[in-house]
Amino acid sequence: MQPRSKYIGYAFLLMISLAFFTSSCKKDSYALPVASDKLQNQAIKRTLGPNIVGQQIEFAYAMAILPTKGKLTSCVAEASIAGAPGTYMENRSFHTAQTGADVGDSVGSPSVTSGTTTTVTYTVDTSAATLRYYYVIPEEARGKTVTIKFTATSSDGESVSTTMGPYTIAQMDMKLNMKVSNNNMMYISIGDSTVYNATDAAAHAANIDLVYVYRNRPNSAFNHALVAPAADTQYLPGIILPTGVNRTAKLLKTFNLQDHNLAPNEQYGGIFIDDIDFQKLDLAGAPNYAINLKQDAGVWVETADGKYRAYIFFNSVSSSGTAVISMKRYALK
Amino acid sequence: MKKNITIALAILLATVTWTSCKKHAPVDEDGLLITTRRDCYVSNFELLGTDFVSVRVGAPVIDTTEQTVKVTVQFGADLKNLYPQFTLAQDCKLDPKITGLTDFSDTLNHKKWTVISGDRNVKKTYSVIISVQP
Repeated sequence: MQPRSKYIGYAFLLMISLAFFTSSCKKDSYALPVASDKLQNQAIKRTLGPNIVGQQIEFAYAMAILPTKGKLTSCVAEASIAGAPGTYMENRSFHTAQTGADVGDSVGSPSVTSGTTTTVTYTVDTSAATLRYYYVIPEEARGKTVTIKFTATSSDGESVSTTMGPYTIAQMDMKLNMKVSNNNMMYISIGDSTVYNATDAAAHAANIDLVYVYRNRPNSAFNHALVAPAADTQYLPGIILPTGVNRTAKLLKTFNLQDHNLAPNEQYGGIFIDDIDFQKLDLAGAPNYAINLKQDAGVWVETADGKYRAYIFFNSVSSSGTAVISMKRYALK
Repeated sequence: MKKNITIALAILLATVTWTSCKKHAPVDEDGLLITTRRDCYVSNFELLGTDFVSVRVGAPVIDTTEQTVKVTVQFGADLKNLYPQFTLAQDCKLDPKITGLTDFSDTLNHKKWTVISGDRNVKKTYSVIISVQP
């Protein structure tokens, strides 16, 4: 190649490169998106963690139609298994205020629940709303799956649906904030999910699994304890058990396992204990007592008859010999 | 020019040969580096419960002459389910390995672990003697 033609070649390449750079850096013009002319809907599940009988599952269901086409007329949530009493749909559409608080504006009549369906009928002229649906998990759903079908209808006769789920309902149940106290409400029945005093414990002797004990000893760490009635008497100091209270249990201490269901106000309570944790729990070789427990401590328990596994969490304790405990319980048989 | 290239290639070849013939640092059957250190002792000891909280009362008493670790645990500690933790001299390893919960409930027959030095030639067996706080 002659020198002159070589320079022409370089110049040509340079121009091509510049042209590419210019075109690639060109800003695309923005166009407003065109809204669909159909009735739209979308749903999200707002609650996290396992779905436990008696607890709510909360959904937010959004629906909208172009104002020129019509307005919203009704919203229906249909559950595959009818919700327990307390299941309802908000008749207010929420928006977030500048303070961050949710503010509700009434858009329809209070929801009507009949069997598996919950309906809100719109009473205001609106073309967009987000309604919240609270499904209270019924006993009959335990261990099964539940789906929720949301349907919105508009004044132009359109209808749109979306189905959420299926959601597995946990086998386990839970009992929150049971108060135990030294020498009084100290007999715990996992089967009954109840705390008894000595008199009532005698009446339910076959169901008593644990005894709550508090001892403040200067030279040894006893403090708060959960002890099976059949444990060595050194762990039940000075305690005369009611007649017939003699069961054993397997207990495993843990600490800082702050289940979010049992300790919703804990700062780090982002952990959920679910059915699978109880299924995989191995308490072989575990003792029948757990002493020196404190706030945020927990105890895994298996009852003597192998009927239940449970996790008992100490929400709070006091040096006067009282504590507040919460329990998740899983039936094995 | 050709001569320079030949010299450069010869130097490169010599470097590669020397590198590949360099002796590898020795490792033992666990893949751990065998060093020249002959220190062989336990420098600290900890016992954790199933809740991973220490059950120890006071500092452990480590006798490197008697080769014992004496530790007092809290009243009510579940001796069948404890996690022992050894701190050893540099490059040492422990035999048998600690793989999980350990049963210390037989307080008459003390649990024993052997500390093996970094050069793998010195071995000292320590007894862990547990006593329970009254």
